[in-house]
Amino acid sequence: MNIDIRTKLLISAIFSGMALVYQKIDYLLIILLFNILTLALFKIRIKLLLCIKKLLYMSVIMIVLQSMFVRTGHPLLKPGGICLLTDDGIIYGAAIFLRFIILILSGLFVLNSNISELTRGLVKLGMPFEIAFMIQLGARFIPVFFEEMGEILNSVQLRGVDMRKIYKRKVIKVYVSIFSPIIYSVWDKAEKLAILLELRGFRTNPARTYYREVCFKKIDYVIMILYVLWAAVFVGITLVR
Amino acid sequence: MCFICLNSVSFTYEGKKTPAVDDVSISFDAGESVAIVGLNGSGKSTLARLMVGLLRPQEGKITLSGRPIEEYSLPEIGRKLGFVLQNPSHMLFNTSVYNEVAFGLKWKGEKRREAEHICCDYLHYFDIWDLRDELPFNLSQGQKQIVVLSAILALEPECLIMDEPTKNIDNYRKEKLKKLLLDIWARGTGLIIITHDYDFVDNLCARKIYMADGRIMADEH
Repeated sequence: MNIDIRTKLLISAIFSGMALVYQKIDYLLIILLFNILTLALFKIRIKLLLCIKKLLYMSVIMIVLQSMFVRTGHPLLKPGGICLLTDDGIIYGAAIFLRFIILILSGLFVLNSNISELTRGLVKLGMPFEIAFMIQLGARFIPVFFEEMGEILNSVQLRGVDMRKIYKRKVIKVYVSIFSPIIYSVWDKAEKLAILLELRGFRTNPARTYYREVCFKKIDYVIMILYVLWAAVFVGITLVR
Repeated sequence: MCFICLNSVSFTYEGKKTPAVDDVSISFDAGESVAIVGLNGSGKSTLARLMVGLLRPQEGKITLSGRPIEEYSLPEIGRKLGFVLQNPSHMLFNTSVYNEVAFGLKWKGEKRREAEHICCDYLHYFDIWDLRDELPFNLSQGQKQIVVLSAILALEPECLIMDEPTKNIDNYRKEKLKKLLLDIWARGTGLIIITHDYDFVDNLCARKIYMADGRIMADEH
């Protein structure tokens, strides 16, 4: 289903907002379910399981941290008198984990669209073009940044450095040395890009025109009304309960 | 026994329909001097990345010294093969040219005095001794290429795989590099040079492999 980017932004804002407002696991599970259904409805292919698998380690850390700082609940794991795991801690940790997933999926829902379309949508919503363009460039450079980082890391290992076998202090030293060329490369790219943009007449005329315009269709209005209604009903039901 | 063996290797990049390397079977003996030539996009660089284990083939098998390449870690491959990437900027991560050349030697466990001696030799050979304290990122593309080549050559690998080594180098240094490569080849180091600079590999490599559309079109000995 081809919908306007602003409709996608609204849906994403609804899910993200609700994920931040609600704390109870049952509510968050319902929001997550609707979030996944939305992704399926708009045929957005995301390696969801892979995404959750990567976050699982983080969820364990979150649960332990929550248990350490949440003083309520029954202790489930108490080695040496230090409370490491409580039932309340598990519930809070799980809630934060669900929130993370909802926020990530909502973000992916928008980022799955054409990035130029997103810029045009943001400009239509009143954002200055320069800032929207910066967001567009940022999104385009993230994969390049990771690719370069991987390339440098490979190059370090190909010169005989076994990251798995060296001491942690040395690993940190290697990572620090890897970051310097990456930061330099990002800086260099930004500088060259700024020059290129100037050379191509960026911001010479304030009245910028667009080859492709974004416009709402009937389906956008229907979807927006449906999602706002769903959010209102959900909020209403939870308030009554 | 062949040093690097590729058996019906195919590789397609994610999101692409046509394979970058298509059913390639080839072997390289230890100490052999080979040039892989072809037009841009013919799959030369992908083939090199497959050979050093930076990419995993979707079909086929690659062996290095008789062992499947998957069984090696990258540092183990690095100790056998010296790989020079097409973009030298992706291989520089030290704060000075000297440290860049010395980096691999230190990790190899070379003694300090010996490492210093090797570094000095390469920096003098390529006339970049004056640049020894310079930040590598501030150098020109050609100078970066020379620094990377020095850093890899200093490790004395069993085989050198170079992806477009002459891309940004001036004719003077190109000739010097050619001379040095002939010299290290004579000492038993294998050479696999990926290039579209036919003149450079003409007298340098006895064997030439021509690639097009991810396939090997000719293998001249």
